Order: sequence, then C-alpha cells, then structure tokens
Amino acid sequence: MRHVEQVMGTAVSIELADDRPAGELRALIDDVCGWLHEVDARFSTYKEDSEVSRMRRGELTAESCSDDLRQVLVACADLWRDTDGYFDAYAGGPLDPSGYVKGWSVEVASDRLLAAGSANHYINAGGDIRMRGSHPDGGPWRVGIRHPWEADKLSWVLALTDGAVATSGTYERGDHVFNPRTGQPARGLRSVTVVGPSLALADAYATAALAMGEPGLTWLAKLATDGYDSAVVTDDGRAFSSANLPAAV
Amino acid sequence: MRRSTAAAVGTLTGAALIVGVRLSVQPPAPPAAASSSVDLVGDTPTESSSSKAAASSKKPAASSSSKAAAGSSSEEKAKSGLKDGVFKGKGATNPYGTVQVSIKIVDGKITAADATYPTTGNSATINPNAVAKLKQETLQKQSAEVAAVSGATYTSDSYQESLQAALDSAKA
Repeated sequence: MRHVEQVMGTAVSIELADDRPAGELRALIDDVCGWLHEVDARFSTYKEDSEVSRMRRGELTAESCSDDLRQVLVACADLWRDTDGYFDAYAGGPLDPSGYVKGWSVEVASDRLLAAGSANHYINAGGDIRMRGSHPDGGPWRVGIRHPWEADKLSWVLALTDGAVATSGTYERGDHVFNPRTGQPARGLRSVTVVGPSLALADAYATAALAMGEPGLTWLAKLATDGYDSAVVTDDGRAFSSANLPAAV
Repeated sequence: MRRSTAAAVGTLTGAALIVGVRLSVQPPAPPAAASSSVDLVGDTPTESSSSKAAASSKKPAASSSSKAAAGSSSEEKAKSGLKDGVFKGKGATNPYGTVQVSIKIVDGKITAADATYPTTGNSATINPNAVAKLKQETLQKQSAEVAAVSGATYTSDSYQESLQAALDSAKA
C-alpha cells in the first residue's frame, strides 16, 4: 500500500509491502502520518508555539523541555563534534535543529512500524529514505540516486534491505546549506549521498559533507569504517563513491 | 580522524620517549641489532610505508646523516652519546592496538625510525598505510526501474516534478 503525505514542508512517500489486510496497513500509515504531523507541530521553526520556538524565546530550557527535544539537542551536539563543527544547529544564530529532526522523525516512524509488525516498508521524506525488509515483489528495495543535473535520470542505483539513504544537494533549493566556518554558501559539491544504518545520522552527515565542500570527500571516506558509505558528485561533474556502496547489480 | 590522530600521537610520543631516554639516561643493556623484530635493513633509512609521524621523525635523521657523511662522524658520536645499533621502544598500547617504535643509530646518529601498527581487525582501519579514499568514477545517467528515489530535499511544490512523484502516481 502506498501513500503520499504533505508534511514538514515536503512530500513524504510511504510504501508498506507487508502481506496484511488493507485496513491494518491503512491504520499503520495513519499512525506514521500522525507522528510526522506531531513532529512538525512540536519542532518546526516556522510555528510560533512549537517547542523549538518556545526554547528560542527562553520559555523552555534543556531541563524543562520534553524528552524528545532533549534527545534531539544531545544528538545535534554529538553531530557538531563528530563533523568538526560543520553540522551546526546554531549556524544561523538561534537554535534550528531541522537538519536533524526530519531524518530522526522518519527513523522513529520506521521503528514504530517495525514494532507494530511491519517488517517491509520504506518512507521517503523529501528524498531521504529509510527502508526495511523487501520489495512487494521480493528482493531488496531498489533506490535510485537522482542525477544532479537531470531530474528524470539516475546517477546510481542501490539495493538495500535494511538501512537509510540520504542526499543533500545544492540543485533543488539553491544555496540553503552554508559553510559555518565562512558563513558562505557551500561550494564544491553538488550532490552528497550517504548510505548507512540510521537515517538521522546519514542525513546529518550528508549535509555536513556538503557544507565542507571538496574536503568533504576525504571526511566521507573515513565514515566508511563506521558503516556509512557515500556517493558524491562535484560541482564540475566528477563522481566519487566508497568501495562498499551497495550498488544494485 | 580521532583514531588516526591517536595513532600518530602515540607514535610521536613513543619516538620522543626513546630519543629522550637515549639522550638523558645511561644507555641500558646492549641492544643487539639481531634482536630487533623490526625491519630496518641496510645502511639507508627505509623510505617506505610508514606514517606521517615516522616520516617527520626521519627528517632530522636524513639531514644529520648527510652531515655525518661529510666527515666528523666520531666527534658526533662522542657528542651525542648514542650507541650504534637498532633500538626497539616498549610498545605503547592504546584502545586500537599496540604501536611500537624502532630507531637505528649509525655513527651516533639516528638514521632510521620506524613504527609498527596494528594491522588486523578494527585496528587495521586506522593503519596509516590504509587511509580510505573515495574512488573516482564516471557520472552515470541512467533510467532504471527503482522503488524510490533519493535526492536533495524537494519542497511540497517541486515534489510534483520529481521522479518520486511519477513513481508514486504510477503505483497508486
């Protein structure tokens, strides 16, 4: 069963491939959508009464905020350290954990689906995907990585049964990623895809590497030892990938 | 980053300790070249394989050995108080394995320095000889059948023009 939900400023595509009655699948999808809207309401920087907005105004502190927000803040701090400061929830001044929240919320949604008995599904939130199990026709999920200049073409095709694929790029929304060291828009890399166990981390790693520019190639190569593979296209059209990228055959 | 830094720091510390001990303390028992387990063959410092740390510790060795070649080798020996031979440091163990540094003294000068690194298991990943790199390839442009498409985050509007939207409407 497939569903597309407009939430968090993007379109989220959900496919459940489990062989279960339609009513049950429908209920699982509704639960996922309910959670994503809840996250949007609680964590959006555009909503005046969200927890993040209240923290920005000083109405919430790290002590008085929800466990979810505290977990997000801790993760952002860890990522700031692990990315040499290139993933920075305070890059624009006030707190903005959006770069982590989307991947994290989808990771949580996929965990909930699994806990509810759905072992075969994927959730694609605006181009960042978490998948489990197998395709409705059997076999792994085949995931294309969009060609960074031609929207209807693919530059890689991956095959995964359990994992996450996140892509950050400058081609879709222009200069929206900044190098926190220079304050300038990210330059050098046009598309960065990170593949690994957690969508929350893969998404943040891809954004950090994009912000680094070409030095991000070396940084990404080191992530492979932690189980995070990558595929990158530079501004001048060179392509790079790590040795264990799960390319489809 | 932190693992390789740890290895490099370990190497430097090891090398510094050995040199420090050699220079300041009474030289201990005669270290036979044969007892070395480290490959420091021949007269020339091995220009190889090892880490940046080892490479940088070779630099002074190279310049001083050329000075020694210029002449006053016995004087130098007396001044430095270093015995000829190959000296092996006590292995320094960090969470990633044991790093052991060796130096070779010829005519009272350090002419080679080398270090062993863990080469098995997880530790091999921080072996400075095996620094990971992404491989360059040709940028593909293909239209294959896929279940989903990963790409830079689209907005609700630009989703309409995406390949994912086409997939969603085809399977709806």
